[in-house]
Amino acid sequence: MKSKRLWVIGCAGTLAGLGLLVALAATQAAAMPQGPAGQATAGPTENGAPPTWAHDVAPVIYTHCTTCHHQGGAGPFSLLSYADAKRWAPQILNVTQSRFMPPWLPEPGYGDFADVRRLSDSDRALVKRWIDTGVTLGDAKAAPPAPQYDNTWQMGKPDLVLNVAQPFTLPAGGTDVFRNLILPYPLKQTHYIRAMEIKPGAPQVVHHANVLVDRSAAMRHAHPDDWQTGIPGMELFVDAGNKFDPDSHFLFWKPDTPALVEPEGMPWRLDPGNDLILNIHLKPSGKPETLDAEVGLYFTPNPPVKQPMLLALERDDQLDIPAGDAKFVIEDELTLPVDVDVLGCYPHAHYLGHDMQGWATLPNGEKKWLVWIKDWDIDRQSVYRYREPLFLPAGTVLHMQYTYDNSAENPHNPHVPPVRVRAGNRSEDEMGHLWLQVLPVNTQAGAPDPRLKIEEAWMRRRLENTPDDQVSLYNLASALAGQGKYAEAAEEFEANLKMTPNDARTLTALGAAEEGAGQVALARASYGRAIALGKPADSAGCDARFNLARLGVRHAEYAEAEKEFRGLLAACPEDAETRSGLGAALLGAGRTDEAAREFHRALELDAADFTALYNLGVIAADAGQTEQAAGLLESALKAWPASPDAHEKLAMVYAQLQRLPDARAQLRAAAALTPDDAQVHSSLSQVLAAMGQSEDAFAEQKQALKLNPQDADGWNNLGAMLARGGQTEAARSAFERALQIEPDHAQAKANLARLAARN
Amino acid sequence: MRSNSGSIHMKLPVPLAFLMFLSSAMWALAATRFGTDLRGQPVHDLAIPGTRAVVLFFAASDCPLSNRYVPEIARLTQEFGPRGVRVWWVYPNPGDTAEVVDKHNRAYAISGDSILDTNQSLVKLAHATVTPEAAVFVVEGKTLREVYQGRVDDRYISLGQERPQAQHHDLELAITAALAGKPVPHPQGPPVGCSIVFLPK
Repeated sequence: MKSKRLWVIGCAGTLAGLGLLVALAATQAAAMPQGPAGQATAGPTENGAPPTWAHDVAPVIYTHCTTCHHQGGAGPFSLLSYADAKRWAPQILNVTQSRFMPPWLPEPGYGDFADVRRLSDSDRALVKRWIDTGVTLGDAKAAPPAPQYDNTWQMGKPDLVLNVAQPFTLPAGGTDVFRNLILPYPLKQTHYIRAMEIKPGAPQVVHHANVLVDRSAAMRHAHPDDWQTGIPGMELFVDAGNKFDPDSHFLFWKPDTPALVEPEGMPWRLDPGNDLILNIHLKPSGKPETLDAEVGLYFTPNPPVKQPMLLALERDDQLDIPAGDAKFVIEDELTLPVDVDVLGCYPHAHYLGHDMQGWATLPNGEKKWLVWIKDWDIDRQSVYRYREPLFLPAGTVLHMQYTYDNSAENPHNPHVPPVRVRAGNRSEDEMGHLWLQVLPVNTQAGAPDPRLKIEEAWMRRRLENTPDDQVSLYNLASALAGQGKYAEAAEEFEANLKMTPNDARTLTALGAAEEGAGQVALARASYGRAIALGKPADSAGCDARFNLARLGVRHAEYAEAEKEFRGLLAACPEDAETRSGLGAALLGAGRTDEAAREFHRALELDAADFTALYNLGVIAADAGQTEQAAGLLESALKAWPASPDAHEKLAMVYAQLQRLPDARAQLRAAAALTPDDAQVHSSLSQVLAAMGQSEDAFAEQKQALKLNPQDADGWNNLGAMLARGGQTEAARSAFERALQIEPDHAQAKANLARLAARN
Repeated sequence: MRSNSGSIHMKLPVPLAFLMFLSSAMWALAATRFGTDLRGQPVHDLAIPGTRAVVLFFAASDCPLSNRYVPEIARLTQEFGPRGVRVWWVYPNPGDTAEVVDKHNRAYAISGDSILDTNQSLVKLAHATVTPEAAVFVVEGKTLREVYQGRVDDRYISLGQERPQAQHHDLELAITAALAGKPVPHPQGPPVGCSIVFLPK
């Protein structure tokens, strides 16, 4: 069993995984009038008749305004009828000319975004002329039908609806409110989420919302007595759980995009014990508003085939803005270690942010803009998704440069007179983040998760900025361990422990790194220290016990391991890994039927549990159920594509099924992952020989023997290949070498005799 | 909507006798009909005996900025009511019928006195242009003298430009000055909100 159990602390910042901005839901899109957004409608010329509602203006309003401005929508009033538009004409004129509406901050030409809400110059001029010339109705019968909006789920009945524990009541007045509402995920199985729809309960007061997946329910556990009412605060900082599982999606809700539909192959995941945190920005309306937020989730049975990642440029450590400073600049940069497609960005600051720039400098010196906001406004913040993925090759340097205005002239300044402002969680503190959603591309099959390289580069950069940042140090060590650089990882964890000597979690992670580096005694000691420090049922204690039990399985101490796993199930929350770990202990002890039961239970908890899938595959293969074994091992590899054992085992199964090219592919994947494993090269040689590829087969066998010269079978096989090729002398010495190692090697003896007879 | 004009129309305090004849900013009490209350009864008296100042708050049930000022006006009513200030919620828009306003006032827990300014005479007398906007009158014998007209405070600079909280409470300062018999300061910026829907002339 090979599952990793390393800890990674997420630095979710303001974010959560946020969703992509998504096309408007079907019911709205269907009702859209002719003329795509942003395109000038066929209006009259300056010299012609005045524009009319029916012919010219209604299409613009229906395309750009009514997704929010309808009865029950997020906009404060409806603009669905001519009468509505006439009533609000002075405001429409004002806000379209000032570009306050529709809300869109990025400067055109600096990042090519999808779903641009900015009104085209021609539409803007049209609206102005319509109002200046007296809001003419025109031929009412010729007006396009108004779009239909209703309050039902846009995508039909969700597979699961989550509710807040208690409705939150927003006071009638006062400053804006930033609140984190916690919605526990109640299911006992893992699900992949292809779409999410949020009904905040009072859309008119919700400016925007970020949804964060709290993998370890850390925020709920940190507020045991009052989490039901929500936790105040603008930024979130939660624990990302115990696997390398970076936040990957922008789950960002804004009023006109209630449903967040993920691209094909990129669902996100919820595990038992996860919480969703709804991080909302609320604007009091004048009367108390009750938010009874609901989140609708739509499942897909298919795990992701593309794994994006969120990363941030940020210099919160430099945010120390003197009172009155109107041009305070922070900058950050990060060199990409792998090729990526950038899918979206989320610039974020609080009230003092003014000019926000993000760009990329390619290795060839070319500059590509990510985003430029010239007059930041927190009220209109958004995630921006690129129209086409923006490809950036490895070696590209990402830059951010944010300018803050802490003068009295900045109307958004929360302090009058201005005061010194530093980074912090309250809205009157500041932040400076540029989040990017990146998807590694041109990745090597079977290589470690390329996102680990990004994580490593990101955390190294953060440590350059703030050398004492323990979270970065911890994450760096975890990223190293995830790439199999265990000795380096152990060193970084040791450095981390110098800062926090008695942290059970870091000790557990250190133990895992030591274990990976082959230092079993040290690993045992580290786990032991962690268990002694932690309370029996706390998460660090549970993980140390899990790792110790797993160590038992790995070292064939099955009885002890079984005892540990059963203790774990009694004291700690049941999870798939513990069940499959127990299964592995039972399987090791030869209790196959009992083991299979545990693996099946594990799969009920998490259908993608690698250990259960892999071992059930092995059980099936041993029982001669080859087809079934192939299916299970294929699923296991979907759950963990970088498992050399699963590749190797699947190759053997394919070979039995006479699927030799498939077997060869699996062994090559295994060899790429563990190039120093002699057995893999030896097996590959056998498969190649069976396929008639003698030269390749010979090369692989030589490679295997170079790695393990004491393999009598290998020398025998090499001799057989040489003999078939007519190289008698070389064959003879190979057989003799086999017999030197194993004097009673029957096949080598027989081969040598046959060779002698041939002459 | 005035946010871009920057111009502020103020009635400066001028000699009483002069105003009596020339300015609409001073009326004889109980001489005019000031719209109707929510039961449809005409309102004749803006100031009951003992009233020292009258505040008109121009509101619209469907204007979000007007609605956001409900708690602030309620606060000022509570603060200044006991000191002889009568606050009226004036609804000037034709769409704000008794039924609409009644429902709105219940939703926003507005307990103050409301007037439907059906003929927009109060709009004209106060020179109001948007909601939310306020006017302050001091009671001088049987007449009212307008001493302030404009924004409530400086939270909104224009549509889309908002301070996290108000820093300058123009209306409150005006009422305080009026009660103290001191010169009433001008508002320091234009009112921001929704245009009053004017009746056809």
